[in-house]
Amino acid sequence: MEREKTDIFSRESQRESGRKGKQLSGRGEGLEPQVAEETARESSAKTGLPLWMLGLGADRLRADMNRLLALLFHQGVLDEQFLQLQQLQDETSPNFVSEVVNIYFHESEKLLRNLRGLLMDREFSDYKKMGIHLNQFMGSSSSIGAKRVRNVCVAFRAASEQNNRAGCLRALELVEHEYCYLKNKLHELFQLEQQRVLAAGVRYPIQN
Amino acid sequence: MGFGKATSSSKAMKIIDTEKKISVLIVEDDPLIQKIHKVMMAKFGTEVQVVANGKEVVDLYRSGASFDLILMDFEMPIMDGFEATKELRSMGVTSMIVGVTSRSQDSEIQAFMKSGLNACYVKPLNAEKVTAVLNELKNN
Repeated sequence: MEREKTDIFSRESQRESGRKGKQLSGRGEGLEPQVAEETARESSAKTGLPLWMLGLGADRLRADMNRLLALLFHQGVLDEQFLQLQQLQDETSPNFVSEVVNIYFHESEKLLRNLRGLLMDREFSDYKKMGIHLNQFMGSSSSIGAKRVRNVCVAFRAASEQNNRAGCLRALELVEHEYCYLKNKLHELFQLEQQRVLAAGVRYPIQN
Repeated sequence: MGFGKATSSSKAMKIIDTEKKISVLIVEDDPLIQKIHKVMMAKFGTEVQVVANGKEVVDLYRSGASFDLILMDFEMPIMDGFEATKELRSMGVTSMIVGVTSRSQDSEIQAFMKSGLNACYVKPLNAEKVTAVLNELKNN
């Protein structure tokens, strides 16, 4: 599992290094000198790192990403489905994972607002409508590998099926808590990826 | 978890070698799942189209369209997966129809199967399930 996760990011870094039209097959090759120098200086300006540290920064950031992912898998926040999404990302859809996750955030926040709106209504009784929102949220959470979010929805669904409003409210708070944690961690992951891509703009620093 | 005639297979994504590309219709109202399933099926070398509810797939078939495989969500607005599948079968449609649902209870899945599905899977679809479905399609 650990090797699979790091291999995925190796493919991503190769894809990013190939951005300027040259593929890297290993640490011995680099970009065209003029392009490499331009990229290195851009990356240095954006990250604030001196040129000589850029190569080290990219590797450290990749290690940080792998550690964060490993933690999220260990905590049960994410499951194998997230890896499936990463495997779908390639040159034809290079931002697939972040696009999918952003759609998930957008749709989930609508659904959570709908659920809270329903439960806050004093005269609420439409458990069927709540069940529909919940099923949609569970389906999309499962589809991005949001395991813990999906699992806490199971209790929510059980309370909903028993027409237990108090139980639903408690479950909703738990779902919102897990969702917030997931969102923060995925934002952290994507930020690390952005920084890593900038730092990996050139494989080797340019010697002045 | 899967129900129906489809069998399990290895987790590696395999492109099914056919002379003609398999045509797949994804019937799903959730934009997130539409995107994931579309990219996933395209990765397997199929030709993919997406519609957002059961009525759209019925209208497509009424207009003369046909697909090798339909991936049918259960809960959708306007016409759900159960009604759409029943309608398609009553029209004489013999395409492979595979249910994909968030509902995981046996009773719910069996009920969905009764609409005329060939198989039914609990979300999420993954490479293993897709391989099983496409192999089943190829064998038939």
